[in-house]
Amino acid sequence: MSTILNDIKNSFVSIIKGLKVTAVNWSVLRPCVTELYPEQKPQLPEAYRGMPTLPVRPETGRSDCIACGACARMCPEQIITVEVDKTDPKDRKPAKFTIDISRCMFCGLCMEVCPKGCLKPARTFELACLSREGMIYDLEKLNKLGGELPPLPEPDDEKSSSNK
Amino acid sequence: MNQILIDLALELGKLIAIAIVVLVFMLVAVLYLVLKLRWVIARIQSRLGPNRTGPWGVAQTVADALKLFQKEDIIPKGADKWLFTIAPALVFIPSYLVYVVIPFGAGLTAQSLNVGVMYISAISSISVIGIIVGGWASNNKWSLLGAFRGASQLISYEVPIILALVVPVLVNGSLDLNIIVENQAGGFWHWNLFTGFPMLQLAFLMLVIAGFAEINVTPFDIMEAESELVAGFNTEYSGMKFALFFLAEFAESFTLAAIITTLFLGGYQPPLHILGGQLTGIAFSAVSLFWFMAKCWVLVVFIMWVRSTLPRVRVDQLMNLSWKALIPTGLVNLLLTGAYVVFWMHK
Repeated sequence: MSTILNDIKNSFVSIIKGLKVTAVNWSVLRPCVTELYPEQKPQLPEAYRGMPTLPVRPETGRSDCIACGACARMCPEQIITVEVDKTDPKDRKPAKFTIDISRCMFCGLCMEVCPKGCLKPARTFELACLSREGMIYDLEKLNKLGGELPPLPEPDDEKSSSNK
Repeated sequence: MNQILIDLALELGKLIAIAIVVLVFMLVAVLYLVLKLRWVIARIQSRLGPNRTGPWGVAQTVADALKLFQKEDIIPKGADKWLFTIAPALVFIPSYLVYVVIPFGAGLTAQSLNVGVMYISAISSISVIGIIVGGWASNNKWSLLGAFRGASQLISYEVPIILALVVPVLVNGSLDLNIIVENQAGGFWHWNLFTGFPMLQLAFLMLVIAGFAEINVTPFDIMEAESELVAGFNTEYSGMKFALFFLAEFAESFTLAAIITTLFLGGYQPPLHILGGQLTGIAFSAVSLFWFMAKCWVLVVFIMWVRSTLPRVRVDQLMNLSWKALIPTGLVNLLLTGAYVVFWMHK
């Protein structure tokens, strides 16, 4: 008999404990953690690494890219195409530079291998669009997404460390 | 002769109007309850719940209902077409008919019967047939097993529910819900829950536990055991037929809240005389409707709170609770109540 009464007591105590837990969750002690996405943008972490872009150097008005093709060879998915602009042999620049983001796996190898360090990760994640063609980013789009680089530091000696 | 015909037409018109009003109330209440349930469970899980469709997400359930309206109505191959179509109605109509005797306020009962409590317990047991028929006609093993489990659960828990309902009926000396409510007039210390210690409190507890099992909410939602059976007896249903099952389930949860309110929490009586007890006529009707709805709302939110807290019991634990715990308790409680009514209660 006493075990039965104990069982009854324990079951009620456990139910009330459980209700207490949910009540605490229900109250103002536990604020809601939902992010109302379109209105509230998420707080991206400092080291967020999005798609590769080509930021514009403000002094020259274009990116530092020399169209060496290292990124295109390095890319595991073969989604980067680079064509050199041969008009001025002194000044190598890409005539065509496209990245097909729809197959990109954001490994970052292109940014690592870039000798000029001009491929920089974007702080964007909203890459949805309505067609496959929209996923192919050309030079103009990549420059626009990349924004502007900070101006170069003043060279203190002839060995400037600009490509860090 | 003409006078009789006119009277008959008037009476019929009144009946149809009442039926439509009750049906509309039920639909609106169910839409609100589904929304409220989603809000409550979301809030308990630190989420927001529906908040996109309409202002604060109030149109979410309306949108869901419209989606269910336009979904394809699939009848499985080999199913018994007639029974398959009738089953949702067999579940839905009883849960609608129960609303006939519930006193929503002073003079706001659709049809006050002198056997109201018995009517409720009798009508609400019809839905077992609907569940069995729905499971059987689906031509699906899992549906059939789910239907059997659901039926065994409902039949097992009707006994303790009736044993719990009889206690306030004995104390008040009437099966008429309106009379039971009128006997609880005055302050809240006149309510059945706060008199007749300990029999009425025990009956209240039993009614809450068994009622949870009767309306299939956790911890007793064996019928909807989506982890063991696919979805219970309504696996094969889609579209509007499923919506009828869904509607009946939530309507029953409001019905349980209404029954508990009527029998134990003073029905439509205000908790203090100063809060509307001195009014008469239509003003008192409005105030009493407000109080009834407020009590029901609190109870329904309590049901949702428990629903989002407790895990599901096993089927043998479910049966043990009913047959080994609730029914003996109910019988002893009934004896005690009889003795109390005969020997000690001041009439």
